[in-house]
This record gives sequence, C-alpha cells and structure tokens, in this order.
Amino acid sequence: MKDKKELAQITNCAMCANMCKYSCPTYLATGNETITPQKIARLILYEEKALIEDEQGFFDVMFQSAMCGACKVHCVYDNYDLRKFIHRGRSKAFKEGMLPDETRKRVEAFTRYGNPHGERQLLQKGTGDLGYFVSCSAYNDQQMLKAMDRIISVSKEQVQEFGGADICCAAPLYYAGDIEGFKKAARKMKEEIEKRKLRKVIADCPTCLKMMTEMYREVGIDLGVEFVHTSEFLNALLEEGKIKVRGRNATATFHDPCILANDMGITAAPREVLGVLGFEIREPVYSGADTHCCGGLPGARIGDCKLADKVSSMRINELRETAADVYVSACPTCKSILSDVDMKDITELVSEQIVNEQS
Amino acid sequence: MKIKTYLSQQEEALPREFIEKVKHIVGEENVSQRECDLISYSLDYWLYGVFLSQYGDLPSLPCAVISPSNGEEIQGILRCANEYKVHITPFGGGSGVLGGAIPTGGSAILNLQGMNRFIFLDEVSLVAGFEAGIIGANLERELNHRGYSLRNIPQSLHCSTLGGWISTRAAGQFSTKYGKIEDMVLGMEVVLPDGSLLDIKPVPRRSVGPSLKDLFLGGEGTLGIVTKAVVSVHPLPKGTAKQSFVFRSVEVALDVVREILRGDARPAVVRIFDESESERYFKEIGNRVTVIFVSEGDPDFVALESSVIRRIAEENGGEPKGEDPVDIWLEKRFDIGLGPVVMQQGAVVDTIEVVSLFKDAANLYEDMIASMNAVKGAVMISGHFSHFYPEGACLYMTFAGFPKDPLRYYQDTWSAAMQATLRNNGSISHHHGIGHWRKQFMQQELGASGVELLQRIKSALDKNGILNRGKLVEDER
Repeated sequence: MKDKKELAQITNCAMCANMCKYSCPTYLATGNETITPQKIARLILYEEKALIEDEQGFFDVMFQSAMCGACKVHCVYDNYDLRKFIHRGRSKAFKEGMLPDETRKRVEAFTRYGNPHGERQLLQKGTGDLGYFVSCSAYNDQQMLKAMDRIISVSKEQVQEFGGADICCAAPLYYAGDIEGFKKAARKMKEEIEKRKLRKVIADCPTCLKMMTEMYREVGIDLGVEFVHTSEFLNALLEEGKIKVRGRNATATFHDPCILANDMGITAAPREVLGVLGFEIREPVYSGADTHCCGGLPGARIGDCKLADKVSSMRINELRETAADVYVSACPTCKSILSDVDMKDITELVSEQIVNEQS
Repeated sequence: MKIKTYLSQQEEALPREFIEKVKHIVGEENVSQRECDLISYSLDYWLYGVFLSQYGDLPSLPCAVISPSNGEEIQGILRCANEYKVHITPFGGGSGVLGGAIPTGGSAILNLQGMNRFIFLDEVSLVAGFEAGIIGANLERELNHRGYSLRNIPQSLHCSTLGGWISTRAAGQFSTKYGKIEDMVLGMEVVLPDGSLLDIKPVPRRSVGPSLKDLFLGGEGTLGIVTKAVVSVHPLPKGTAKQSFVFRSVEVALDVVREILRGDARPAVVRIFDESESERYFKEIGNRVTVIFVSEGDPDFVALESSVIRRIAEENGGEPKGEDPVDIWLEKRFDIGLGPVVMQQGAVVDTIEVVSLFKDAANLYEDMIASMNAVKGAVMISGHFSHFYPEGACLYMTFAGFPKDPLRYYQDTWSAAMQATLRNNGSISHHHGIGHWRKQFMQQELGASGVELLQRIKSALDKNGILNRGKLVEDER
C-alpha cells in the first residue's frame, strides 16, 4: 500500500474493537469472526505485509463480504469505507484468475452478452429527456415493468424507457474486481445516455444507482445526468398530485434495500409512499439505517453462494416476524431473493392502487 | 506460517480422529484449519496484544476453529476433547481485554457466535431468554423493539456477547441502578467440561445450597460453556433526567455520591471524572472534577431522585453544569477510535478497573495516579469512578505511554496499579476479569488458599484440564 493515509486507515480498522460487527449481516447469519469487518481488515493488512500464505483462502474471505455498507454506517472513523480495500482484494483475485465459481460465471456471461443474464432484447420506448433505466433484475420481472408502465402512463410524464440487450450498469464486473471491464461498461453507459439526450434518469435498482453515480465517478466517468430512485420518483408523483391512489386498510413491512439505505440514505421516501397508500407500517427489528442485506444474487456481491443463502434466510425470518399483510421493497433484486415472503416492489403497490387512470 | 507468535511455541498436532469426529458432530463446514480463520481467532481485545498485532505478531494461533450451533453439539465436542485430550478455548465476542479468549498453547477454538438467537420474552415475569453468543447490541435491539431493555450497557455493547458478560461478571454504564450481569442472570444452561448438561432454572432467588450459577459467573470459560441464559429485563424508561456538577476534588465528589446512595437514591449512571478526564471530555469545563448523573424510570420517581441528588450536591459545594456534559458523554461513550491511532504512533495504552470500599476510594485513586505516573515512559494517566454501590465504587484508570521498551512499560504499569490496589484494600478487578494477563496477580488477590480452592474446583469439574487452559489461575498440572 503506497498511500500512507490508506495504510493508517486499514491499520486503525484492524486494531479497532470491531464495534460495527453487530450490524454485519454475514457475521450475524453465520457467527463467523473471520468475516467481521475488523478481522477482514487485519487479513488485508497482513496480506499487504506479505504474511498470508493461503492466497486462495484470503480471496475467499474477500468474496464473503456482502459489500452492503453496514460497517461504514456504524464506523467510528470518518471518511472510511472498508469496502474500498475489500474491492482491491477482489481485483487482485480477478487478475490472478481466482474468482469464486459463480462470480466467474457472471463475469463470463457479461463478457459474452454485455449483461450477467444472457441474450436479451433491447427495451426502448417513450420519448423525452426523463429516462427510466430498466435494471437487469427488473428486466426479468414483468409485473414490475407493467406496474411502472401504468404509473408513467397515468401520470402523463414523458419518460424514455431503456434497458435490456447489453445495457447494464456493470455491477457484476465491479463486484468481481474487473476494473477495466467496469470502466469500459461505464463508458458504454455514458454513450447510451448521451445518445438518448437524457437530463434525468429514474433507476429502479439501488445498486445500479450506486454504480452509475459513485462508482463510475471513482473510475473517472461522470454520466452528467441527475439520478432519482423509483421510490423518490413515486413519492414526488404523489406529492405533486400527478397520480392519485385509493387508501388501503392493511399492514405492510418495508424491507430497506441495503444500498438504498446505507449508501443513498433513502429510507423516508418509500415509507411516505406506503403511508399515502394507507398502510400501517410494521418495522422489523432491523430497518432503516440498520437494515440487513437480502443476500443478493448468487455469485454477485457475495461470491459464496451458501453464505448468500444464509443471509437471505436470516432476512426472511426477520421480516416474517412482523406478520404483516404485505411485504414490500424498492429493489427488484431484493424482491426476487426474498420471494419466500411474497415480496412486492413498491411500484406494484402504487400501480395496484392508482385511481385516476385514463379511460 | 509467516505469522510470529509469542505465547505458544508451536501448534499442537490435532489427532485426525478428533477432527473427523467433530466434523461429524457439527458438519464439515463448521470445522476450519484455514490460515485466515486461525489468524482471526488468535486474539481477543487484550490491548497489548492488539498493539503487537499491527506488526504481524499474534499471541497464539489455534490449531482449529470449531463452530457449533447448539448445546448438544457442544456436549459432543467436549466429550471428544476429553477422549483425545484436546484443549479447547471458548470464543465469545472476542472483546475481552485480558486475553481470556487467546488460544494459549495452540488449543482449538470453540466459536460460540453462531448461537446468537433471541428465544423468548416473558412480559409478566419480566425475563427474557437468549442464546449466549448474541452480541449485546443485538440483544438490546430485540428487547427495545418489544419495549424492554436489559440495561446492561457496557462500552463493548456492540462487540461483546451475553456469554462473555456472564463469564467475566461484566458491568454496564447503568450499573448503579441495575447492577452487574450477575444481578441480572436468573438461570442458565451450561455444558460442563465432561459434556454433561446443567440447566439452572430461572427463579428470582432460591435456597438450595451454594449458588451453582456463581461457578460460571466469572468462570471465564474454564469451568463450563454457557450456552443460554435467562435474564431480568426492564420496561424502557418513560422518564430520564440528566444532571452534572463540578466539585473541588475527587474526594469531595466521592463523599457526595456516597451521601446520595445513603439516601437511597439509585441513579442509573453516576460517573466522577478526574481533572484529566474532564478536560478530555468537557472542553467547556476544563480541568475540574466533574460528576454526571442519569436518573431514569417512572417520571415521578425520576423527579424526586433528581431533587435529592441536586440538594446533596449543592449542599456540598457542587456547581451545577446542566445536561450538556451528560449529553457529551452519552454521545462519546462508545467511541474508542483514538486507541488504534495512537498505538500506530507507538503508544502503549490500556485500561485497568479495580474496586474498593468508600473508606479507601480516595486514597486508592491518589496512590494509583502516583504509582502509574512513576513508571518510566508514562505520558498520560487518568481515572474516573463509575459503578457505585452504597459501600464503595469501581475506579477505572486509563494509561498511555511512549516507552522504549513496550513490554517493560506495560508490565511495570500494571504491577504498579495492582500493588496500589492491594495496598489500599481493593480488589484487582471489578468487571474485566482475569484472563491471561491478570492471572499473575491472583495469588495476591485470593491468597494461596483461595487460588488452591479455585484450582481444586477446576480439577473436580474438568479432570483432563481441557477448558481454557492458562486462564484465570495457573494450571498446576
């Protein structure tokens, strides 16, 4: 580590009392000390000092982080994010060809198709300088796409919808540590947005939002457009009276997507939307800035699929405890992973309760 | 392995049959001998060990890490350990500051953190059950969500476990009202060293011979493995009052707190900060002895208690400083980020908590300050009193030095503090426990017969000496 400030940061973390561990979903789901933030930092420090002999073991640990940012939220140090250092470990694993199997498959699929899922049709409809970027998870979710179409139609907003084919934020490459691939994909995304002449883009997936803003900027690419998450877009439509909804007498539990809460700080907007829809919100024990990651897609942020399953199971149990009538989130990946509680996206609930539809 | 260890010469060779049998019990994925795991379970939060860890020096690497998911699996593991004479070191949150979870001699780690579930809440009896591996902050979250709290809020709340609290007789910052963990535990499930199960039922008090649960409250994992516990809980307080006062000396402040407790007031938080700590915490007050109080509970009681505190404080020359110092302390109380920063600069830092009767408390404080300051390399020594009882209080010292010989400075400072404590009739630990480092002072604390009694209890329960070797008292075998 050439940067002395960074060396001091990771050493602080490696010698800290691990007081963020109680917030770490991978730790809580397993009880494994090795994957707590402080111990990950110690391993990174020791790898830097060339004290680690089992390189594969070290890389495996790097891919056992959920990269959810809970440790950053609960950190005693300012301007420090352990994920930056974990990501470097992942980049080294990528360069040395030592990725976990599922992660490697996702990278291979991306290399072939420009997205992690395979061959897809291009989605392109509507006009205007307000864009709606359909994430890879939403692309596979017809209910969610129909819901968004209906809301856009009723609101009479001019929205240019795009996605599918090889248009992807490239999160799979970022989390796999493929920096060059990620940069290339970011440049492509910039071209896609520029050719559509967009001023503002709605993103339905918090991870896409993070990639297309914070992470693109880290690799030197600024898309030059304003971004808004779906939950904020919906909240604004309701506040401005562009859509009206009928109230409902039911309870709802909102699962805060980890990136939305921890990195974007968006926890109020979805709750405000649910309030307008008439739901009484039943919070789980861990919510808002204390939310737990859903576990994510196999091989994605968590490279270890068994671990991802454990994190998912833990979150499902936490949500079930509320015994709410409806479970809702604001991320198509969370919706898919947490399907055991019949999870819906907030877009679907708004669409179901719209009353001022045009005939 | 490239990692240097300084407490054990070499790893024990673990019998292959033991490993196979244990894998059969807990599942293959829950037994690890991978390097990253061995490094991660090599040290708790013993600060001298943490200081050395930045250079790649660790006290002792375990030979394996075993992670059970219930008491039954622990029973099986301990039976195997007895059969193959394998030493086992229990590992809770790894937050202990005396090296109690260091796998001395390269023993196998028994990682208890997978047993971290909330089990039940009995709102009629005001008790709740948890698995012992739950982190304090998660335990509080479960209770708070339901309108309750254990009120054991140590500085390590976010990284220490219920089992760790029980094993060290831990104390929280609200202990003056609610007591230490030994006052909160009603029942527990313990796996004994031979693998048998002891279930101590939760009742408020009993008269059935000596208290068996007291063998494990402070047992530091040497006498059994606590797997579950039932603890008393409190409804979240409806009222809170915060007050602070400045006094002319630590001695006067001690007298005031003594008078307040004698008047049957029981504020949850009472802390006397000496001049040095006041200056660090409260810039606006500066170099003056500051006392903070937090009263909580039913608003009527809180109001009454606050007025008693205020009257006694002011009658004794206390200068009111309002709520701000309390709020500052509440905000900073978990922030220990400075330690690693100064350790990187070569500072050796640590804390030492002891306890004495009121009659000795002021002398003990003066003696501790003088003795610890006299050690070559000392840069900063400060103290506060917290955890008060009608009879006495805990004195909590913090020290930092920039010595040429870190180990010499560390040892000399500890020796100076312990001798000052013993000279002033104090006990060498109030709530951190003994672990690896403080056991060198146990003969002076308990006397030869006390140590021998503990060793005989250990031998009777743990015939093969498998549990947490090298902790609490020296193993004479």
